[in-house]
Amino acid sequence: MTQLFVERFPDQARLVRLAFFNSFAAFGIGALFGLIQALHRTDVLRIVESPTYYTVLTAHGVFLVITFTIFFLVGLYQWAVTTSLERRPVDMRITKAWYWLMSIGTVIAGITILAGFLDDPPEVLGSQLSADVLFTFYAPLQGNPLFYVGLVLFVVGTWLAGVDWFRTWWAWKGDNPGARIPLPTFMVLTTMIMWYISSIGVAVAILAFILPWSLGLIDSLNPTLTRTLFWYFGHPVVYFWLLPAYLLWYIVLPKLSGGRLFSDPLARVVFILFILLSTPVGIHHQYLDPGIAEGFKYIVMTNTMFLLLPSLLTAFTVVASMEHGARQRGGEGYFGWLDALPWRNPAFTGMALAGLVFAFGGFTGIVNAGMNINYLVHNSAWVPGHIHTQVGTAVALTFMAGSYWLIPQLTGNRLVWRQAALVQVLLWFIGIVFMTNSMYRAGLVGVPRRTAEPQYAFEYDVGVGSMTELDFQLALGGFLLFISAMLFLAIIFMTWRNSESEPIVDGTIPPALSGPEDSPRVLDNLRLWIAIALVLVAIAYVIPLASIVTRGGLFGPDIGPFPVFTDPMILLEYGSKLIGMVVI
Amino acid sequence: MRISFAKLLLLIAFFIVILVEARTVFAFFGIDVSLIGIAVTGVLVISALVLWAIRPGNDEPTEP
Amino acid sequence: MAKSQVTRKITHDEFDPVGTLALIVLYFIVLMLMWVFTYFVEFVGNDPTPFVVA
Repeated sequence: MTQLFVERFPDQARLVRLAFFNSFAAFGIGALFGLIQALHRTDVLRIVESPTYYTVLTAHGVFLVITFTIFFLVGLYQWAVTTSLERRPVDMRITKAWYWLMSIGTVIAGITILAGFLDDPPEVLGSQLSADVLFTFYAPLQGNPLFYVGLVLFVVGTWLAGVDWFRTWWAWKGDNPGARIPLPTFMVLTTMIMWYISSIGVAVAILAFILPWSLGLIDSLNPTLTRTLFWYFGHPVVYFWLLPAYLLWYIVLPKLSGGRLFSDPLARVVFILFILLSTPVGIHHQYLDPGIAEGFKYIVMTNTMFLLLPSLLTAFTVVASMEHGARQRGGEGYFGWLDALPWRNPAFTGMALAGLVFAFGGFTGIVNAGMNINYLVHNSAWVPGHIHTQVGTAVALTFMAGSYWLIPQLTGNRLVWRQAALVQVLLWFIGIVFMTNSMYRAGLVGVPRRTAEPQYAFEYDVGVGSMTELDFQLALGGFLLFISAMLFLAIIFMTWRNSESEPIVDGTIPPALSGPEDSPRVLDNLRLWIAIALVLVAIAYVIPLASIVTRGGLFGPDIGPFPVFTDPMILLEYGSKLIGMVVI
Repeated sequence: MRISFAKLLLLIAFFIVILVEARTVFAFFGIDVSLIGIAVTGVLVISALVLWAIRPGNDEPTEP
Repeated sequence: MAKSQVTRKITHDEFDPVGTLALIVLYFIVLMLMWVFTYFVEFVGNDPTPFVVA
């Protein structure tokens, strides 16, 4: 057994713990809001008024898919770079700077969202302190400028983190000329390249349009343009959530199974494919947007279908690595080897189940990606069903399972309540199936997403059972997920405090069966992949963006913000205007 | 125990998932199973599984 | 886990991932069935958009 991470790099372990702390705190708050939503939408229990639902929804989205996932990512990647290069950052001040930038950004954006719960939010920077704009914060919804300022600080923090990891790698390269990039670092660097290319979109959307607009510096903007810029970032961001989970599947899962990674070159190819393909696909979130020609949407659909390739490669490589472990542990037969896997280890079981849910959730992604079928499910509960199987399970469950393996190495404490941890991951698995099964089915019969009142006034023709039953199933699933989330936090908290113990965990990662020496060196030529990625982005986006700007103008055809502040008088005014327009 | 406690829990979780999804699949073929029906089936199947699991196996008279 | 109870070492050349193949074949069959299911639910199961004369 080698030395624990916390013993080798105490200051780095501390930083990773801090990042995980932010991540898990956000997870707890986000999970609570998730429960409130599940119970509210289904009309089981309503503790907020329906207009306040959108504050809850925004907080649920932002805290979970921005704060929880990305803070976990930076913690995990800091660990991965440090441990695989065996060295500390070049300048620890930069490391601290990005951590604090991200934290301060989160606090600012978080306060702005949560102020939406106040009856009379204070005026800040010329508008009420509130941001009920949902996680997809594009126009015409408008939040308080502070919300966007918080987001900008957060994103700049992640950029700086990337610079930090690149610098560590450059320093390592100077000491190890000609050596292949260790796989975990390779994954970190490729993820960050993808992130730099894609987050430009959201940066431009916020800095050039949305922030000045919310400050009143410009009167209007072009909503199609800001939506397109958002989704330019909005699809790659899902891989920013997913790739740390992939890192855990490729690096940690084979080890937990008792085997070795099947192929290091395949893993590199997968991450390169994500650099190339994750950005020029964003318009597939806008199949229903008017103002973008069908032809562009078709090109994007083709690119999206190519994105299945890295995920199918991953399914093969990761399962083969697990099988290698099972066979080394004495497993036999075509399916019998599954029995030899270490199912009693919550870290293993959690990741394996997350992978399973991802494989089937991937199917719903293919449905979303197909232009024609997308029209049928686009604004329905099917889509949150998809996001909850993919980010809410493939990613979140992998992070939780990974924490059971990582936290003891970061704290030097033994994991407490291992049986409860196993129950926790299974409970998440059951909860997600209850909840998403109901969401998918509700979506198929046309129940809308993103609304506090999905029922409106009409009866849905539910194919199986009844709407009440679907609602009950959703609420039950949400409840189980909440219990599971709280159990996870309790286990982590107790482990954190369990300092009078020695961990039983071995942090060594065995080498891959087929190592980097089996792959061409061009895979490590990051400049080449960046260049190709930029060409693909240009092909997919230059003409659509140009046509959007030509058609609607850079600052748009004078579109005012929709009243997000739910002042009854404004709503009434807006409603009467709308009715007036319809009548005329 | 014929199988470890961990595997028993895992099997139970899988059965619950299969029951939830099976109901949708059955309905597709025109077989409507009522909520009570599926719940009763679930309780029966899982109890049977637990009983099978906790009985000592033929070749392993003692705890594993 | 501290001990992974590895009973034998299998090298790259000895390892033949037939179990992976079996699982992937199973997965593809399920995917195919899900597509069939989608065809019925989405296309056969939905009427064309109602024709409304305003």
